[in-house]
Amino acid sequence: MTKQSLSWLLALAIIICLPLSGCYDAKEIDEEVYALVIGVDEGVQNKIRLTFQYATYKEGGGKAQGGGGNGGDEESGEVDGTIVATIEASSLLEGINLINATVNRQISLMHAKMLVFSEEYAREGVAKYVEPLVRFREVREFMRIVVCKGKAEDFIKENRSFIGSNPAKNIELIFEQSKNTGYFPDVFFSDFYQDLLTPYGQPTAIYAGVNDLTQMASDVGTGEPPLRTEEDYEPGSIPRKGGTKKELSGTAVFDGDRMVGTLSQRETRFFLMGIGEFKRGFFTLEDPNIPGYIYVLEIRLAGEPKLKARFANAIPVIDLELSLDINIISIQSRKHYEKLANIPKLETEVKLHFEKGLRETIEKTQTEWNADIFHFGRKIAGNFGTIEELEAYNWNRHYQEAKVNVKVNTHLRRSGFLFEAAPVHSSTTEGEQKE
Amino acid sequence: MIREGHFGFYEAFSLMTIVLITKLFYTSPMVIIKSLGTAAWYGTLISCGITLVFFALLFSLMARFPQQDLYQIFEAVTGKIVGKILILIFAVYLLYKAGITLAEFIAVLNVYSMPYTPQSVLVFAFLLLVVAMAYVGLEGIARVAYVFFYPIIGSLFLLLLLAIPNYDYCYLTPLLGHGLLRTMETGVIRSAAYGEIVFLAVIINSIHGLKNFKKVGFITVISAGVIFSLCLSCILAAFQYTVGGEHLSGMYQLSRIIYFSRFLQRVESIFLFIWVITSLITVSFAFYLALSSYCRAFKIQNHRPLLLPFSTLVFVLALYPDNIAEIIEVHVKVLRAYSSLILMFIPIMVLIMALIRGKKGEKANDQAKP
Amino acid sequence: MSEQQGILSKLIALITYKKKNRPKTFTLAEMGEGQDAGNPNTNDQSNNRKKNSGDSRSNNTENIVQDSVKQQEKIVPGKPRRRALKKPFSPSELKSTRIEGDKVRSDIDSNIEVIKQVFGLPKNKDLIIREFQVGRKRRAFIAYLDGMADKNIINMYILSPLFKVQESDLPEGKGLNSSLESIIETNDTKNQDSIKKVATEILKGNTALYVHGLDYFLTCETIGFEKRGVEAPKTEGIVKGPQEAFGENLRTNVALLRRIIRNSNLITEFFEVGEKSSTTVAVLYLRDVVNPAIVKEVSRRLSNIAIDFLGNAGMLEELIEDNPYSIIPTILSTERPDRTASHIVEGRVAIVVDGAPFAMIVPVTMNALMHSPEDSSLKWQYTVGLRAIRFFAFFAASMLPGLYIAITTFHREMIPTDLLIAIAKAKENVPFPTIIEILLMEMGFELIREAGIRIPGIIGNTLGIIGALILGEAAVSANIVSPVLIIIVAVTGLSNFAIPNYSLAFGVRLARFYYILAGALLGFYGIVLALGGYVLMLVNLKSFGIPFLAVIAPKGRKSKDVILRWPLWMQEARPDYLNPLDRRRQPEIARRWAQEDPDKA
Repeated sequence: MTKQSLSWLLALAIIICLPLSGCYDAKEIDEEVYALVIGVDEGVQNKIRLTFQYATYKEGGGKAQGGGGNGGDEESGEVDGTIVATIEASSLLEGINLINATVNRQISLMHAKMLVFSEEYAREGVAKYVEPLVRFREVREFMRIVVCKGKAEDFIKENRSFIGSNPAKNIELIFEQSKNTGYFPDVFFSDFYQDLLTPYGQPTAIYAGVNDLTQMASDVGTGEPPLRTEEDYEPGSIPRKGGTKKELSGTAVFDGDRMVGTLSQRETRFFLMGIGEFKRGFFTLEDPNIPGYIYVLEIRLAGEPKLKARFANAIPVIDLELSLDINIISIQSRKHYEKLANIPKLETEVKLHFEKGLRETIEKTQTEWNADIFHFGRKIAGNFGTIEELEAYNWNRHYQEAKVNVKVNTHLRRSGFLFEAAPVHSSTTEGEQKE
Repeated sequence: MIREGHFGFYEAFSLMTIVLITKLFYTSPMVIIKSLGTAAWYGTLISCGITLVFFALLFSLMARFPQQDLYQIFEAVTGKIVGKILILIFAVYLLYKAGITLAEFIAVLNVYSMPYTPQSVLVFAFLLLVVAMAYVGLEGIARVAYVFFYPIIGSLFLLLLLAIPNYDYCYLTPLLGHGLLRTMETGVIRSAAYGEIVFLAVIINSIHGLKNFKKVGFITVISAGVIFSLCLSCILAAFQYTVGGEHLSGMYQLSRIIYFSRFLQRVESIFLFIWVITSLITVSFAFYLALSSYCRAFKIQNHRPLLLPFSTLVFVLALYPDNIAEIIEVHVKVLRAYSSLILMFIPIMVLIMALIRGKKGEKANDQAKP
Repeated sequence: MSEQQGILSKLIALITYKKKNRPKTFTLAEMGEGQDAGNPNTNDQSNNRKKNSGDSRSNNTENIVQDSVKQQEKIVPGKPRRRALKKPFSPSELKSTRIEGDKVRSDIDSNIEVIKQVFGLPKNKDLIIREFQVGRKRRAFIAYLDGMADKNIINMYILSPLFKVQESDLPEGKGLNSSLESIIETNDTKNQDSIKKVATEILKGNTALYVHGLDYFLTCETIGFEKRGVEAPKTEGIVKGPQEAFGENLRTNVALLRRIIRNSNLITEFFEVGEKSSTTVAVLYLRDVVNPAIVKEVSRRLSNIAIDFLGNAGMLEELIEDNPYSIIPTILSTERPDRTASHIVEGRVAIVVDGAPFAMIVPVTMNALMHSPEDSSLKWQYTVGLRAIRFFAFFAASMLPGLYIAITTFHREMIPTDLLIAIAKAKENVPFPTIIEILLMEMGFELIREAGIRIPGIIGNTLGIIGALILGEAAVSANIVSPVLIIIVAVTGLSNFAIPNYSLAFGVRLARFYYILAGALLGFYGIVLALGGYVLMLVNLKSFGIPFLAVIAPKGRKSKDVILRWPLWMQEARPDYLNPLDRRRQPEIARRWAQEDPDKA
């Protein structure tokens, strides 16, 4: 055998061996199922009860029957093109292995989009169950953290979409609503984990619940319905009918890894303004001139809130200043608040309203939980020279002593399509004097 | 002697910058943030400054012996035998560096991207390329470095830019970190992280002499320092000193948290490109220089027959550490903290010796130009 | 033996130490080298190196040049920038080309000498000088360009009457002119007393006649290059631009080039290659632009080929290229005379083989292979867009399937969840792993392509399209491949056709399988390693001594026609890496009219 043919033979052998040596990490797409939601409950027979929701690969998505309602079958856990499976295990990742005995395919967490803790579980502390997720390479940093009222399992079972058959899109888009309403924060797993460790502040999570759609009172009301301009609904208690049963509203407040309380929808909006993540939202305010009438404003945050922190006589003083842009959406009374002469008055009213709301929200976090979810500690840290001093001071303990000055600047920008709306004329209209 | 080829300023600059910033992608940010806290970003600038001083000293040594590279100066100043021993020390160090850099890279890769592939397969595939690079020689490595320089720097900045929504520069406070003294101390010790610049003196004849040497050296150290500082401050701003100090690879983690929209997320695998290419160039450079130093010490004319034995050595070295803790706590510490004993101490000693003995190179006739 | 070394023996050679002399490889000598040698710094250095190195393979002239130029400029501030200088390669050679006075001499020998000098004889084989005697006594000669002039006219209407004329019919002195004009039977004759004008006329295809004793040339119109066989290009078709291609006839091909470059400095040299076939190979270049070292190297390679048969240009390409093992071509072959001409004017050398409708251009760089002949005829803004598409096509054609397999089997987290689930749904009934799917489809595509060439005429094209459609559709409905993959393979195939160079497209097709393998074995890690290897190969390629990636690596002077094409009037310098004799393409201001006041004119 000549040298050359021998060398070719050898090269061939190496090339044939190559596929044997590689491909260890290769896995076909359809060899795995992708858990979209992970739920963690307190277990009964074992430490934790895990719930996974993963998409199925059947054509045409889920079998959404009829006009919604029962799109699935209770036995197999099939929910709108996804399967919800629950298992009890000692640890999170081991739970995955356990459940694999039944799922036929490897469950992958690399596309998990939501991590749900039940409220009672979150109140006991979550750090020890979050840690494996940080270490594990498959878990995504932008998984959302949700704390749900009641059981996570029940919540995930209600995680369905009646609009489209795409479960992943459904989950991603629901969090986008945080930008449109400000009723709940959009909390990423990476931020949550960071806030667990940080000396600069405390973590938060999305607060959610299941609405059994029976909250709406029967149609027969008695007399004039009351005007409620401040939404303080707990998740699961919004009076509504139709649509999915899951509800995201409010903020779960943590002290360290323990959940200590919740902010309502209204407070969440102020909280989001305080940390500069409020994008836009409609606010209904009662017209101070004509009781029973309201005006509706769209509020946007104009720029990042300005935050300053200093120590005065060993008491931390924090100045929070934010400016809001106001767009008038509706003035029920059809008064000309958008006129230049009337603007300062309106702006002051709005300003006072928001300053009060912010102050109350901050005070609540100070007095009730002593949890700096606003992360004022970021600025406080600038007053310390070294990390040792900062950690020795322990801002998270001293948060309640802080004096927080809130200042809100408001600017009326637009008034919609109308300017100086004409009054409604009816047979009872009183002649209005020209000014 | 081995033909090393010649290359211009840009090639040399790209090569040295890539070699210097490679460690950024491994465990280096974690270690430095852990020890310096919020002061990490300027701690590395202190190291950079120390290195600049060192480089100025090195330059004065090189200027005493124009047209000679560092190894020739070793031999000229300390005599043949001691000089050869010094060259061999460099060769061994370079080999060690190549092996450990590879081990560190593979460890990080294994954790983040390829968890089930055996390390030996990863190392083997990598070494194939390294051997090919070393086969071609320094000029080829420099050109590859130059071709990839802009893509690497571009994607590095793209990474930093895409992660902007996660930054909060308040997390750089408290400004002093764990105290100024500790920062200074660590900064001085870790100046070894920039120590590779000394190899520029070894390849001085490939980069057209002293003038380019000075230019490349200073610009490289400064830009590497700026890149380091920038990346460290971005890691701090995104992760704070607490989390930043526990992520194995801060830069990789930074690429993992990029979330720009529903569509632009989970792009970290693209940045795998920077990781692999920079490591490839750095390991090839160290490997080739180890080979060529060895050849210089023993006057071997052709480095290519040595490729196989040396690559086997690197292979063994790369698989030698049992676990990642050993890499971080033993080897990388040696490489980044104590290697200044070799990289900086030896040239300075040689400079002092040259000064004491009054040795000088042939008369520099730079001025005698027509 | 050394040519046929197998991989094993190379491996063994890595272990065993064998001293062997590698043959020297050609590197382009730098024009300024001689001057650099005057620089003591570089001089000493190179001495130093010489001491160390036995042979100098990788000469780095490319970047020495700029650096040393920069150095020199700094050191000697008074020195003008070298680029602006038109440097003679060797002064003696340039002197020989200089014509002393433009006036036609009045004796035949010096006139022949002058014409020879102007056209670069004896190197240039295109100019025919035919000496004869008019009326058996008076010496005369005609000069014309082979291929450009119609030989029938010359034979029948110039030579034949001149041979028949009697001495007695030729009056002395001034009368000679009118009698010559009456003897010659062509439709137009002109008296030219300037050598320059004579040369211009010859270049047009006219014939110059000189009779001893006259102080002018008589030029007769004999224009008539062969138009037969000039067809539209087949593989390099463009929309805007000339629609002619080389044919099989060498003479015609050279004439096609001469018609575009009407310059007496355009030299055609002939070589014979092939012991049995004696194929004529023409080498064309512009004497006053091209770097003589390149011409020397080309003729060295051409005259040192020992082969029995040279059938076509591709064979010659294989015989003369620098790196026969590289999968990327380092010689540009084109079937377009206009493209060849533009490269010749840039300072490159064109090689035309008799019987092959292709011209080979050397040396070329990567970007020349990525340019299309249409680039220069479109507005530069459009060209920039087209180039961007082409570079994307290059990337997609080589890496897309590899990336697909890497992403779907190793980095599934990168795919948006919606898409991921869609792919998984589509793949649910497909039994094969992705790698098999990709290989199946690639194979099918290559098959259709290869068959399409063989199937005659119009059916071929139709079958290609229909075959691809039906095959893809059927494969999807039979659950053999997933639909997403069809898109990937189709985009890849399309991209491959968008690569302007036929050979490069082949190289890219091969590279695709290389990346597929790398991606299938090690995912992104494998692909990036493969990319590193690919770039390593590219930076080490040379085309006649010029680094294949010149301008990019080694970094050269900034060129205005690499990836972006700047407006034509901004492209003032010829490619720096070629080191042409004449670096300047045009003055700083090419659009002179724009500087003028239109009202004054």
